[in-house]
Amino acid sequence: MQQEVFANTEDFGGPDIVAGPARVSRPGVDAPYANYELGKPYDEMFARDGKARLPYAVMDSRISTLPLEELNRRQQACEQSFLHQGITFTVYNDNKATERIIPTDLLPRIVTANEWDRIERGLTQRIHALNLFLRDIYNDGRVLKDGVVPRSMIYGSKHYRREMRGLPVPHGAYVNICGSDLIRNEAGDFVVLEDNLRVPSGVSYMLANRDVARRAFPAVFRSMGVRPIEHYPLELLATLRSLTPFHEDVSIAVLTPGVFNSAYFEHAFLARQMGVELVEGRDLLVNDNVVYTRTTSGLKRIDVIYRRIDDDFIDPLIFREDSALGVPGLFNAYRAGNVTIANALGTGVADDKAVYAYVPRLIRYYLAEEPILDNVETFLCREEKSLKHVLANLDKLVVKAVGESGGYGMLVGPHASQKERDEFGEKVRADPENYIAQPTIQLSTAPTFVGNGIEARHVDLRPFILHGVETKLVPGALTRVALKRGSLVVNSSQGGGSKDTWVLSQ
Amino acid sequence: MLSRVADSLYWMSRYIERAEHTARLIAVKLDSMVEQTSEDATASWARVVESLTGEKAALLHPDAFAITRKLAFDRDNQTSLINSLALARDNARQVREALSNEVWENLNRLYLRLTPVTMESIWIHTPARLFREVLEEMHALEGVTYSTLSHGEGWYFLELGRHIERVQQLGRLLDIHFSAAQTSENSPKYFDWLVLLKFCTAFEPYTKQYTASIRPQKIAEFLLFDSEFPHSICFSVDRMTEALARVAPGAPPARRAAVERLAGRLKAAVDFGQVDELMSGGVAAFIADITKQCEQIHKALYSSYITYGAETVL
Repeated sequence: MQQEVFANTEDFGGPDIVAGPARVSRPGVDAPYANYELGKPYDEMFARDGKARLPYAVMDSRISTLPLEELNRRQQACEQSFLHQGITFTVYNDNKATERIIPTDLLPRIVTANEWDRIERGLTQRIHALNLFLRDIYNDGRVLKDGVVPRSMIYGSKHYRREMRGLPVPHGAYVNICGSDLIRNEAGDFVVLEDNLRVPSGVSYMLANRDVARRAFPAVFRSMGVRPIEHYPLELLATLRSLTPFHEDVSIAVLTPGVFNSAYFEHAFLARQMGVELVEGRDLLVNDNVVYTRTTSGLKRIDVIYRRIDDDFIDPLIFREDSALGVPGLFNAYRAGNVTIANALGTGVADDKAVYAYVPRLIRYYLAEEPILDNVETFLCREEKSLKHVLANLDKLVVKAVGESGGYGMLVGPHASQKERDEFGEKVRADPENYIAQPTIQLSTAPTFVGNGIEARHVDLRPFILHGVETKLVPGALTRVALKRGSLVVNSSQGGGSKDTWVLSQ
Repeated sequence: MLSRVADSLYWMSRYIERAEHTARLIAVKLDSMVEQTSEDATASWARVVESLTGEKAALLHPDAFAITRKLAFDRDNQTSLINSLALARDNARQVREALSNEVWENLNRLYLRLTPVTMESIWIHTPARLFREVLEEMHALEGVTYSTLSHGEGWYFLELGRHIERVQQLGRLLDIHFSAAQTSENSPKYFDWLVLLKFCTAFEPYTKQYTASIRPQKIAEFLLFDSEFPHSICFSVDRMTEALARVAPGAPPARRAAVERLAGRLKAAVDFGQVDELMSGGVAAFIADITKQCEQIHKALYSSYITYGAETVL
C-alpha cells in the first residue's frame, strides 16, 4: 500500500500505512475484539463464522495492528475536533450549563456499492410515492375515494393541515428534504423503520463525521474508494433553487429557531456551506404578502425559506399563536405564492405510524411498482386478519397506539406479564383502529471503539434524500450508534452517538 | 447584512476588545507590582480595579490574589475576563455563518481553555504567565480575523465594535490617571506613568517618539493624538470614521447622514485638539466629551441600521 503523503495527519497521528504481518483477530477471542459479541442480529463486520466480511478486511488489518493507546489517541483527537468546532449540545445540571459533544465513534461503517444501489433506488421510489400521496390528499383525495387508505386516518391526524388544501406546491414536491431511518434485519436486508418528512436533522453530523474519520484513517480511506459526500450543501442549494419560478438572483434563507436549539450547529453549518443567510423569525417580516429580512441597508426580499421550525411554530397567525419563533403573516405570503417554504407545510401527516404501514401499498397504488425496500413488518389491527394474528401473538409483538409517541400506549409483548398482555389485548379489541403491531426489532451491530477494545454496538442508517425537480441522494448517511452495550436506542438524547458511513464505489 | 448579524458582530468585537484590555492590565500589573512599595501597589491596583469595573475600591493592601480572581475569573463580575470571553463567544455562535472556521475555533478554543483554570492552579507558577498567553492567543485571533474574513461590511462592524470599546477603555484609564495626578495623595509617580504606557502597549512606541523621558503631558499627547499608534484615541477615531463610511452601503442617505455627521464632529474634536489646552485639568473634560460622543455614535448606529422601525422603510 502506498504511503499517504498528503493526508492531514497533524492532529490525528502519523501516516496511516498498514504494516506488520497479516494476522487474524477473532471476535470474542483475540484483542482488540476480545469482548466482541456475535449474537442473533446481523453484524456489519463479522460473518456468522467469525470471519471479517470482505469490505471490512482492510479496516480490520489496520485496527488490529494499531496499539490500543493509538486508537485512544485518535478517538480523542476526533472528540477534540468536535469540541473546537462547537458540535455540542448543552446539558443543564444544578443550574450549571455543561456543553457536551455529540459522541462520535472513530470506526466507519461500510456500505457496499450493491447495497447502496438498492437503498438509493428504494428511497427514490419511496419519496416519489409519498409526494404523490401528499399531493393527492391535499387535492382530489383519490387514494381515499378508492379506499386504499381510510379517510378517518388522514383527516383525523393531528399533522393534517387543512390550510394546505388545494394549494399548489412547486413541482408537486411537498417533501424536499427527507431523512429516512433504515435498519438491517437478521437476514442482512435493509428495511425502512421510519420516514422523517418534517424537519429531519443530522446531515451536518454526516459531514462532520466524514471529516474526522478521513483524518483518523487516511490511507485506509483512500485505498477503499469511498464515494465523496462533500457536495451535499451544493445539491441542497440546487434543490432549493429549483423550487422557485424566479431564477435570477434568488434569495434563499435557512430559518432557525435560534442558538438554543439543539440542531443550531447544523442550521448555521448548512447556511454557511450554501452561502445563504441564516435567519431567525425575528429577522423576517411580511408586508403585503411578501417576506423580507431586515438588513443594515434596509429590507431585502426572501424567495425561498428552508425552514428548520415545525409547522406548529411557523406562523402565529395561523398555527400556534404563542409561538415566538415564527413569522406573523408567513403563511399568507406562502399562499399568495410569493415565497417557497421547504419542506412544505403539512408533510407530517405522511410520516406517522399508521400511514407508515400503508407506504408499500401507496407505492403499488401510485407507481404500479413493487417496493424495492421493505417496511418492518407491520400489522394494522384495523384489518380483521391482522387483528387475529396480533391477539394470538401478543407475547411476540410490540403493539403501539398510533396517536401516541415516546413509549406511551405501548406493549412490549416479550417483556410483559400475562396479565398485562390480557389487559392490553382487551384495549386493542375495543378500539382496533388505534393500534398497530410489529415484531420486536433487531438492529444490526457494528464495530465500535469503547476505550479498552472494540465491541459490537447496535446501529441504524439515515440517508438523506433531496427532492425538487430531480431526486438526489449523496452517497452517504448518518449511522447512529447505541453506545451502551445491548442498547437499541440510538437517539443522541439517550446515550446514542454517530459514526461515519463509507459508501464504496465498487 | 442582516441587522441582527451586524449587532452580534459589533458586540462580539466589543467583548473581545474588553477581554484583551482586561488580560493586558492584569498581566502588566502582576508583573510590575513586585517593583513597588505596598502603598504604591495598592494605589495602582485600585486604579486598575476602577478602570475595569467602575468601582472605586478602598483597598487596604494589594491583595493581588483576590483582585485577580475578581477581574479574571469571577462570573458575578460582569466585566471579568471570563465573562467577556463568554459573551464574545455567545455572540460569535449566533453569527457562526458570518465568521470563518478559524475565527470561531480560535475564540472557542481560548474560552474552553480558560474555563477549567482556577486561581490556585495559576498562583503556584508565575501568575502573569497565563495572562500573557491569553494575550498571545488574542493576538492570534485578531490575526485570523484580519486574514480569513472578507473585509466587507461584517468586518467593518467588527472594527466599529473594537474601536468604540477601545476609546471607552482607554479613556477611562487616562481619566483615572490624570485625575489622580491632580490630587496630592496617591498621585501617580514616575513608575506609574511607565506602567500606564505598558497598559496601553505604548512603552516602546512612546520612547521612539519622545525618548525615554516620561512626562505626563507627552503621554497624554501620545495616547490622545498620535495618529499612527493603534492604542491612541486618535487612531481609533480614524478607524471608526472609516468603518462608518463602509457599513450599510444601501441605506437611504438621510439615515446615513445621521451617523456620519456625528462621526465627523468627533473626528474634528480629536484632529484639532491641542494637548497644551488640556493639561490644566482639562484631560478629564476632554475625555468625557469624547466618550459621550462615542455613545451618541453607538446610538445613532443602532437607530439607523439595526433597530430602525420597518414601517419607516416600507
